[in-house]
Amino acid sequence: MIETDKREVYRYLGYRKNMPDEAVVRLVDECLKDLQEAVTPRYIFREYPIQSVYPAGGSAAQIPVLRIAGMEISSRSLMRNLRGCESVYLMGTTLGLGPDRLIARASVKHMSRAVILQAAAAAMIEAWTDRVNGEIIQAAAAKGLYCRPRFSPGYGDFPLEFQEDLARILRLQKEIGVSLTESMLMMPSKSVTAVVGLSREKAGCVLHGCEECTKSQDCAFARNKV
Amino acid sequence: MAGVNRRPLLERLGKEWLFFDGGTGTILQEKGLQGGELPERWNLTRPEDIIDLHCGYLRAGCDIFNTNTFGANALKFPDEGELRAIVEAAVSLAQEARRRTGRGDAYIALDIGPTGRLLEPLGDLPFERAVDLFGQVVRIGAAAGADLVLIETMSDSYESKAAVLAAKENCDLPVLITNVYDGSGKLLTGGTVASTVAMLEGLRVDGLGVNCGMGPEQMIPIVQQLVETASVPVLVNPNAGLPRSENGRTVYDVDPETFAVWMKKIAAMGVQAVGGCCGTTPDHIRRTVEAVRNLPFIPVSRKHRTVVSSYSQAVEIGKKPLIIGERINPTGKKKFKEALRDNNIEYILEEGLRQEDSGAHILDVNVGLPEIDEPRMMETVVTRLQSILALPLQIDTSDPAAMERGMRLYNGKPMVNSVNGKRESLESVLPLVAKYGGVVVGLTLDEGGIPETADGRIEIAKKIYRAADRFGVPREDVVIDALAMTISSDTKGALVTLETLRRVRDELGGHTILGVSNISFGLPERSVINAHFLTMAMQMGLSCAIMNPGNEDMILAYRAFLALSDMDPQCMGYIDTCANIVRRPASANISGGAGTAAGDAAAAPGTLAAVPEGTAGGRANAGAPGLPGAAGGKNQDKSGAMSLAESIRRGMGQKAAEAASALLAEGLPALELINRELIPALDVVGKGFEKGTIFLPQLLMSAEAAKAAFEVIKETMRDEKREARGRIILATVKGDIHDIGKNIVKVMLENYGYDILDLGKDVAPETIVETAQREKIRLVGLSALMTTTVVSMEETIRQLREKKPDTRVVVGGAVMTQEYADSIGADCYAPDAMATVHYAEEVFG
Repeated sequence: MIETDKREVYRYLGYRKNMPDEAVVRLVDECLKDLQEAVTPRYIFREYPIQSVYPAGGSAAQIPVLRIAGMEISSRSLMRNLRGCESVYLMGTTLGLGPDRLIARASVKHMSRAVILQAAAAAMIEAWTDRVNGEIIQAAAAKGLYCRPRFSPGYGDFPLEFQEDLARILRLQKEIGVSLTESMLMMPSKSVTAVVGLSREKAGCVLHGCEECTKSQDCAFARNKV
Repeated sequence: MAGVNRRPLLERLGKEWLFFDGGTGTILQEKGLQGGELPERWNLTRPEDIIDLHCGYLRAGCDIFNTNTFGANALKFPDEGELRAIVEAAVSLAQEARRRTGRGDAYIALDIGPTGRLLEPLGDLPFERAVDLFGQVVRIGAAAGADLVLIETMSDSYESKAAVLAAKENCDLPVLITNVYDGSGKLLTGGTVASTVAMLEGLRVDGLGVNCGMGPEQMIPIVQQLVETASVPVLVNPNAGLPRSENGRTVYDVDPETFAVWMKKIAAMGVQAVGGCCGTTPDHIRRTVEAVRNLPFIPVSRKHRTVVSSYSQAVEIGKKPLIIGERINPTGKKKFKEALRDNNIEYILEEGLRQEDSGAHILDVNVGLPEIDEPRMMETVVTRLQSILALPLQIDTSDPAAMERGMRLYNGKPMVNSVNGKRESLESVLPLVAKYGGVVVGLTLDEGGIPETADGRIEIAKKIYRAADRFGVPREDVVIDALAMTISSDTKGALVTLETLRRVRDELGGHTILGVSNISFGLPERSVINAHFLTMAMQMGLSCAIMNPGNEDMILAYRAFLALSDMDPQCMGYIDTCANIVRRPASANISGGAGTAAGDAAAAPGTLAAVPEGTAGGRANAGAPGLPGAAGGKNQDKSGAMSLAESIRRGMGQKAAEAASALLAEGLPALELINRELIPALDVVGKGFEKGTIFLPQLLMSAEAAKAAFEVIKETMRDEKREARGRIILATVKGDIHDIGKNIVKVMLENYGYDILDLGKDVAPETIVETAQREKIRLVGLSALMTTTVVSMEETIRQLREKKPDTRVVVGGAVMTQEYADSIGADCYAPDAMATVHYAEEVFG
């Protein structure tokens, strides 16, 4: 059972601060129930040291390069996220193909249902990922380490192309059934990959948050937006 | 190299213990393989290490060992020369290891792993492309001298099918396959042991089983199911326990000794070959060989079950009677024919979903119409149906090309309708069943027509069984159709059919099938005859009834029969069915029904209320707060029912349909109804959406309610052609497989009277341009979800400008902005569905 926050579902549906009417509320409940039966939640996380951080040679931008598990990432926002970290957890989560099938099925005749399933599944994968992230936080705490908020390829200037590396390093296809399309979309579509920094120093927010995302200004779904 | 003392593998497999090798990745990592490195490249750069790896396993006593080609395919090695060199080297390194160890008796397995991509339609890798990718490697490996093909670590049944077909079509070597199951006993894409085994045995693999994913201990329940289900040798290659992460490396904890103890247990369960996967080492294999070698060997037993399967479920024929839904068939259905001609796949899918909800176990799929490309339509319908529903399908066609297309693209083991006693039919259909697998329906007719006696039909049944045997189709994969013919022309007809059923069961030990409703052609109250005949047939042993699962009388007869035959625990199936049935008023029983064509009483009142109409909409009794007030027109009709406008605004489909028929019955002309009631109601909702007082779900619920009303109105307009306001292409661009936004726009545009050519998702620019040219399309709507796919959108626009400059392009999607749309040269950016509607109005005036 994945506890999903219905307010998140309404938010994804565009309700912002409004409350949906009774019919929609009921449909959301139904969809969450159907999803609950259709999902096959899976996850994987593995710890990797941050091998090195060094300045990019000669480039004008001078963005440092992070080496993690053989990846060489130059991203200011990920750097900021991982400040003070010596290692990371790489994580992957998914709800399986069940939601995709339900959405495809609903799209044949009931787009209203498809749209609600889509929003509900989006909220559910966030909830599932939060739960897995919670386990990571505990695993880190056992070693006396603190987690940073999770950070995914595509956030800020962390290039989406690293999906491919994460998929390979974590063997996502084999371990949790997540594969990438040619254009780097994850299938099942309700899947998340992320980097979680580990540090000896405590920091404020340990779970994800829109506040961390540089795209939140022009994102229609951002929290705390009117 | 001359395989001096090497006997053909198939002389040994399943007759004595055989052992596989163990893990590759773990050992290569110890030898220094880096995280990002492709291990197959070592065949060229570090050949000695690979030989060494093989030698370790050969000395440990394995009989079958894998080439280092798990990920060798053109997706990972696009350079054809490099791929060839890697695969050829892999085989020659294996041969060298065999020479060095003096193990000329061991078999080199060309190792094939998954592509890493998900197949269409849920993913973006076309099925035939997957077959090509695997086929290329098989050709190189077989030519280089591999002794067998081992397909392994497959977590998707569809990709497994592509790989097996590729192996079979590109070499004559034995083909073995092992899949990855998870803790719940399923493939990652949902298949069960039973469904997977059915499909793979249908494809005639020489051995099958399980590898990777878990350790031997966790694998035991799956092994149990495998040995209970499979009729070919069972192979088990576990990991050395569950993986654990240590300093960024994956480690496995089960030591060789413990591993061997578990493998001994597994071997004793009745499997025929064992080995290891991730984390296992030559030591694990050596211990396993020692522990298992002297156990008594149990050969696999043939199970003789008649099973069809989908991607996720196996359905066994013969245990209790099954219902095969007959509604996906154009015969006698005007609307269905129209849908086929207009390429309206959604209409066909709806028929499928409705029958699944009504309790069908298998769906018959017949899309034959003289003026369409049947093989192509069969392919489309089969692939779309199997992506949204879990029922096995019955490929129903008289066109061998369409039959092969359907069977090939089918994700499972299909039912095939049909073969008959004619030589031509036997020779064209049975080889397909032998190649792709399937349970084939054998019609008891031949060159001499349909025998009038049971004797005659039994003779043909025997002939079909014999021919099946000759073509390598096992007896259990044939189901005999005893042929039901209307009693209105020959009143003995039913008795002959029933006697044939009985004799197939009692004398031939076979299973049977009937198109039940044929029995009542030309008679009134057909469903009464059909229901009684169904009961009589089931009593005579009928295994499969081809019928309309939405027909109340027949479904009740079916349920009653199960309840009376002790096949319905606590009668729950019967009780549930009764609870779901909306009994028609007595008067309708007399006036309706008679004269409708064969089982074509569409979902009219009195059939099962299978799909909850309009989902929540249909049940929303309370008023929807915050909706704008009534917008003119009649609000209440005499009976107190809800007005059309009101039911659309509140998104209540059933009510909207009722209101529309009431207004039509009052004599309101259809067009007036649309223009004065429907469209204004939609406009009110649309405006509310734009103002932010109505939200997307309500907008769509209203659209669906309006659609339900449209359907009713269309019925009355059958012959007067309603002019579409314009024809629009919608497509989600190449590379993008998320089409929800496009589908929303489609619903809205259709509501406003536009004719939509929906090209689907992941659509190549060329397809869009060609369609626009051919159909003279003035407006194209494109959607893209991500920045990575906006590139394809830009390319599509570029090609359209070049080849069809007068076509306008409207774009939308999550990442789209006005600025972005301008930069790629779109004519209009539509932030939401209503904006697209407005733009269409502007274009078409």
